[in-house]
Formats: sequence, structure tokens, C-alpha cells
Amino acid sequence: MKYKYWLACMVERIGIRNVRRLSERYRDAKEIFDQPKEKLCADGTLTESAAEKLICGRLESDWEDEVEKMREKGIRLVTIEEGDYPLRLKEFRDAPYGLFVKGRLPSEENRTAAIIGARQCTPYGREMAEGLGKTLASAGVEVVSGMAKGIDGAGHFGALAGGGSTYAVLGCGADVCYPSGNMDLYRRIETEGGIISEYPPGSAPLPAHFPMRNRIISGLSDLVVIVEARMKSGSLITADLALEQGRDVYAVPGRIGDALSCGTNRLIKQGAGIILSREDFLKDLQIFCEESKFKKKFSKNSLEKGEVLVYSVLDLHSKNINEIIDETNLSAAECVCALAGLEEKGYIREVFQNYYIRRLED
Amino acid sequence: MYSVVSTAIVRGIESLEVFVEADVSDGMPLFDMVGFLGSEVKEARERVRTAIRNLGYALPAKRITVNLSPADVRKSGSSFDLAIAVSVLAALGAIRCERIDEMLIAGEVTLNGALLPIEGALPMADKAKQMGKSACILPYQNAQEASLAGGIKIYGMKSLGQVVRFLNGEEEVAEYVRKTGKKEREYGVDFSEISGQQFLKRACEVAVSGRHNILMIGPPGAGKTMAAKRLPTILPPLTAKEQLEISKIYSVSGMLREREALVEERPFRSPHHTITAQGLLGGGRYPKPGEISFAHGGVLFLDELTEFEKSTIEVLRQPLEERRVEITRFFGTYSYPADILLAAAMNPCACGYYPDRNKCACSDSVIRHYLKKVSQPFLDRIDICVEAPRLNYAQLTARSKENETSAQIRERVIRVQEIQKQRFQGTDIGCNSRIPSFAIDRYCALGEKQEAYMRQIYRRLSLTARSYHKILKVARTIADMEESGEILLSHLMEAVCYRGMDQKIWER
Repeated sequence: MKYKYWLACMVERIGIRNVRRLSERYRDAKEIFDQPKEKLCADGTLTESAAEKLICGRLESDWEDEVEKMREKGIRLVTIEEGDYPLRLKEFRDAPYGLFVKGRLPSEENRTAAIIGARQCTPYGREMAEGLGKTLASAGVEVVSGMAKGIDGAGHFGALAGGGSTYAVLGCGADVCYPSGNMDLYRRIETEGGIISEYPPGSAPLPAHFPMRNRIISGLSDLVVIVEARMKSGSLITADLALEQGRDVYAVPGRIGDALSCGTNRLIKQGAGIILSREDFLKDLQIFCEESKFKKKFSKNSLEKGEVLVYSVLDLHSKNINEIIDETNLSAAECVCALAGLEEKGYIREVFQNYYIRRLED
Repeated sequence: MYSVVSTAIVRGIESLEVFVEADVSDGMPLFDMVGFLGSEVKEARERVRTAIRNLGYALPAKRITVNLSPADVRKSGSSFDLAIAVSVLAALGAIRCERIDEMLIAGEVTLNGALLPIEGALPMADKAKQMGKSACILPYQNAQEASLAGGIKIYGMKSLGQVVRFLNGEEEVAEYVRKTGKKEREYGVDFSEISGQQFLKRACEVAVSGRHNILMIGPPGAGKTMAAKRLPTILPPLTAKEQLEISKIYSVSGMLREREALVEERPFRSPHHTITAQGLLGGGRYPKPGEISFAHGGVLFLDELTEFEKSTIEVLRQPLEERRVEITRFFGTYSYPADILLAAAMNPCACGYYPDRNKCACSDSVIRHYLKKVSQPFLDRIDICVEAPRLNYAQLTARSKENETSAQIRERVIRVQEIQKQRFQGTDIGCNSRIPSFAIDRYCALGEKQEAYMRQIYRRLSLTARSYHKILKVARTIADMEESGEILLSHLMEAVCYRGMDQKIWER
């Protein structure tokens, strides 16, 4: 294990391609560890400088000790040589050599879907991501994402709310909660799914890690859903990666002119699957559920007059209370009561102080 | 010969009686002044001597001693000149002493004997009244502000010569009579000028009714400043006592002279965000009032709250609780009233447009960094927090004729404040925002249904005890506005919409 751990740590130094070439050439990590420098370079497997880095790395730490520390943190290392390495990843040329896992890995039998998108998302995007996560999870699809703020986090939340498993692929060590504000989410994913990282425990969330992490997210998923993305967005790069990996790409459409829907609308134009509704999406995935599941539970009878009026002017895009008052011609006091009533009944949500959106029915 | 003249020194907005004694006796020719004098008072000797000579009196070759008592109070300022001159002239026998006893005399004297205005004439006149004097002699520029004290004769004089002739009965000077053309309060702005923003206006009314401090958050152009400027227009009219108190503050700062009359409108102060803590609280060697005292009885508006230095804002915490400012300097502790309604405005994020993601690309960390600039303890003192969106043209221009005027709103506010006055009779609470936490249960009792609602809200919004109390206090005000003795569910619901800015709101 010590040698495998060492080699997994070396990925950051000499690159994944080099590590993969070594692991294919030699029997196991121990053999690589023991090779003299000349041998490593001799047949052109590694360049001089890469070999130098590898040699230096050998003595850098007490690797036995590091492995022990990792185990104490409840993290295990699954390398490509092992049986429980995800089959979905194995086929790729730049598949990670090792995955540090806290919790479980996505199951091989169930379908998996990635829900990704902008960190600075709109309430609409958040609501959609959460709704899709919930729908997929309750249909038995496992949700993979990156545990970032915004869409990623909402996707995880939705999956947890739907009672499904969800997996977070991080750009830092599996023992590091980044962003730190997502501690609650981190703890829940740890028990209801798994935290996965290519980087050894304790690694910082360096910017260079994230593009590499994205290929694992799309690689672990059978399909990738992009909820919101700006014109130039990391999520679009992930979508490209997913296509290269042969994954289905779906996008949530948005209004023309919304900055955060430019990227997703463009994807749809380029041929990505369009999500018209959650029901329609499940049909696309050939998952069948009872029609009634998404039938509107909303009935006007359960609402008071003012509530019906207020509900009618709300949609999935946030509106300030001043605008609601203007549009409904209610008094401030009446409007506030209607909003509070609707929120209590679960029809709307206050996304920011004094800003409201309609909730997706579930 | 010996003589004594009464004058006064201003400390804070109050005044202390000072006696100027003069004695002329045989001995070495000398003009000596004692009595813990500041340098500007020491210089009075030259001014007075020259002015007396230019008046045509020759100072005899005698020993002249002037004492300002009480001797343990440091005398500063230029207001002693006239009293010293009169005292010396009386001691020389040039002025008859009978009328001096019933007068309070203050003013600055130039070398040719003309009088210059002084600061703090109003508190001095008020003091004279308390001392039982019948009249004040002051520079004519100060006559008007001093007359605001009422119940005391004010004589506005132009020169030392006139004062001498007046005291000797050689010239009649008419008592200053204030023009009492009671004019309608005039702010120049009105709430009817704001279209749309119903909720913002409602929040303003709630804030003023219960004297809750208010924070407005919104993008540029949402009308935050516009609304704040109109807050004083819906406050009840000033009482005579308040008028006098506010006028005194302006008087000691020399700001009343430029004004036409007594301060009749509630003040609105909007200091720039580069202001220092001293500028805000008051300060200086002899502490002068700061912006918070200038806003006494009215509104202190901090625009662009996040741009203020955190340490500057934090000094407001204590005055907001105590409703007065205590400034301690080398020469003593000064106290100025500071009973204000605090209004503040800020953008929701660095670019100003959050949560409109079409315009705002601020990341969470950027927003958090931006919001951290406002100190939490300061936010704790703000009861009402309201979000205002940017208005489009149609909203801005619509229905402007139907908008309520300030006068209409003010009438309601007066009624609500009356209700509070009755409720808090015999206590020192005064208004809903000042209900102490131990008395919350007494004044903001909740029914069973309301209790259940608050329990649920408490959990859902993960409130703190402080924010919970704030919601109850605001709900109390809303109930008063509806003239409901009991706090109803709808009142609580509205109060929840005004809950303070929690750091949590921006996250998630």
C-alpha cells in the first residue's frame, strides 16, 4: 500500500500520463519505487526531469506513516490495479491512477448522473438543480457533482432530499471541506454516498486541480446535466470532456438574455439534450414513473384569495416584494401575509431577503 | 473701586455662571487678569484696554485687577471681552452699577469697540433666566437666537459705546422682539414624490412609528437615499422643549446665527463616509458636538454604510443606547444629547446588483468580504432591514398623483406614537424600539397561534435571541399601527420580512 500511495501522490508532480505509462510498464508500484533513475529514463518512459522528481519523492516522507494517517481519517485508496476501481473510468487514457475515497464509490449497477453548473447561480438554477437532483435520486439514479457552491451543492442537496446516494468529487484532499461553508453537506455526503478525490489527503484546493477533477465527474457519470453556465464557463469545458468520454449531455434551457443561461442555451443549439420538464427528462432516460407523480398538487382551494393572486405573479425567477405589491395592487400588509402563507405551505421560497420565487412542485 | 459683572461660559449645551470682578486700586500701574484663563481670554486684556481707550476713556495709572470666578473652571473663548470691559469701566466709575446686577453680559470686543458675535448665546440666555436675571446684553447678531430662550429680555448691541450709554441710561435700546410669524414646516421634499417602492415606504413608516433604526439595501438607483431624506418629514412636529434643545446644540456650534429662526424642522444629517469618529461623535480640545448630536431629534443617515470605517461606525453603539454622547477631554467631561433615528443604506454586494445575476458576478467570498465591512454589533442595533429593487421608468413615473403625502403619513405616525406614550407611561421606555429584553414578555405577549408561528420561524430562519426580540418589537409597532392591542399573526409575518440582515442570508 505504501508504494501505491507514493505513486498516487506522484501524479501531481509528473502528470497522470507518466504515472499511467509507468504503471502499465511495471508490475506494480513497488517495482517502480525500486527502479534506479537510469532505468526509468532509459526506454523513454520518463524524461530526465520527471524521473528526477520521482526519485526525490521517494525519500520525501515516511510513506508508511502517511498511509497510516490516511487510514485514521477514514480514507482509503483505490488504485486502477484494484478490482473495485470504477469501470466507468478504467477505459480512459488519462483515468486517475488512484482515487482517495471517504465513504463509497458510485455503484456499477445503478445509473449515475452529474449535475453541474455555475457557482454564482440564480435562484432559478438552484431550484432546477435541486429539483433534478431529487427527481433523479428518487428514480434510483446516483448523483455525482463537485460540492461547489451554487448548482453543484444544490444538486447534492436535491439528491439527499430524494433519498438517494450522491458523490462529491473534490479538487482537494478528500479530508478537506472546500468550500468550507459546505460542511453540513460534506458530512451528509460522506455517509449517504462518498467523497472522492484524485489528490492525497491534505491537498489544498489549487486552481489547477479543478479541470482535472471535472474529468472524473463526467467520467463517473453516465450522463451530464448542465443547469446554468455563463458563456465562458468551466461547466462548458466539462461538457466537452463529457462528450469526448462518450457521455450524454443535457442542458437546462433559460431565457434569452439571462447571462447564466447563455452557456446552456448554446449547448442545446450544439445538440445537447434539452430538459423540458423533469417528467420529460425521465422519459428521455427511459425511466418510467407514474404520471401522477408530477401532477400539480397545487389547488386553489387550499389557498386564500390574496395567496392565489400573489402566487400568480410569481415564477421561477426571483421577484422583490416591492414588485409583487406593484403587480398585485395589494397593500404591503396583505402581500406580506400572502407571502408568509404561501411559504408556510411550501409553494414559494424566499431566496434572499424580500425576494421570492415559486417552488417546483414535488 | 470694585465691581462685579455676570457672564457665562458654555460647557456642552449647558451654561455655567461666571463672575467677572474688577478692582482699581492705588499701586504700580498694571492691568492684571487671573482666574484659570485660556490664552484667548488672556488676550482679552489687550483688546479691552485698547477698546476702552478708543472709547475715549483714559485708563488711569492705577493697579487694575480682574478676576474671573469660579477660579477652578477653565475659561476659554472670546465671549468674556464685553463683560471684562464693562466690569473695568464700572470699577473706574464710568458706568453706573445699578443696572449691571440684573444683567448677563457677553460678547467679543474689537479694538475699536465694536461687538462680534459669540457661540452659545442661547444656552447663556437660558442660564440667565435660571439665574433670575432680567436681561441679557449680547452682540446684536446673537440677539435672535438668544431670544429663543423666552422669558428674558434680550438687548442686541453693536458697540461697547452703546453698551456704556445704555447702562448709564443715556440711550434707550429697544428689547429684541422675535418675529413670531409661525411658518409652516418646510422640508422641501415629500413622500409623495416616491412612486412604487410601496414596501420600502411602508418600512419607513414602521421605522418612524416605533423609532426603529432602519437599514435599506438595494442596487444604485433604488431610491434609498430619496426615502431616507424624507424620513424627517413624517416625524411628529418638534415640541418646544425639543426645539430649544436642538437649537442649543446648533447655538454652541455657531450654526444658529446663519439660520433664520429657531430650529423648527427635524434635522436630517448625512455625513460623508470619510468622516472620522470625532466628527461623528463630537470632539476637540473643548469638545464640540458631532454629527450624531446635530441629528438629535431627527435622522442620522449613513449612506454607503460599507464605505465607513468600521471603527468609526462602532463608536455609535453606545450613544445609540444611551441617547447621549459623553466626551471626556483634559478640561472635563462634556455631554451632548443624541436621540436619533438612525437610517443607513448600502448595496447588497461590491458591484451593487446582487441578486440580479445578469449584472452581478460577485462570488460568495467577494460578497462575504463586502458585508464583513459592516460591524455585527452595529447591525444588532438596527431593527428593520429592507430590500429595495431598482425601479424601471414605468414604475418610477406611475401613479404619482395617488401617492400619499408626508402629511398624511405623519398624522398616522403621531397617533401611533401617542399609543406608545400611553403604554409606557411611568416608565422611561418611551417607544417600542426601546423595550428592554426583560420587558418583552410584558409588552409583546403572544397568543397561542402566534407563539407556534414564531417557533416555526425561529427554527427555519435559525434566529438568535436578539433577532427574535427585534421581530417582536417591530411586530408591536405594526400592531399599534393597526390599533390592535394584541399582536396578530399578520403583524408577526410583516415583522419577519423586516428582520435584520443575518450573515446567513447571503449564503446558501
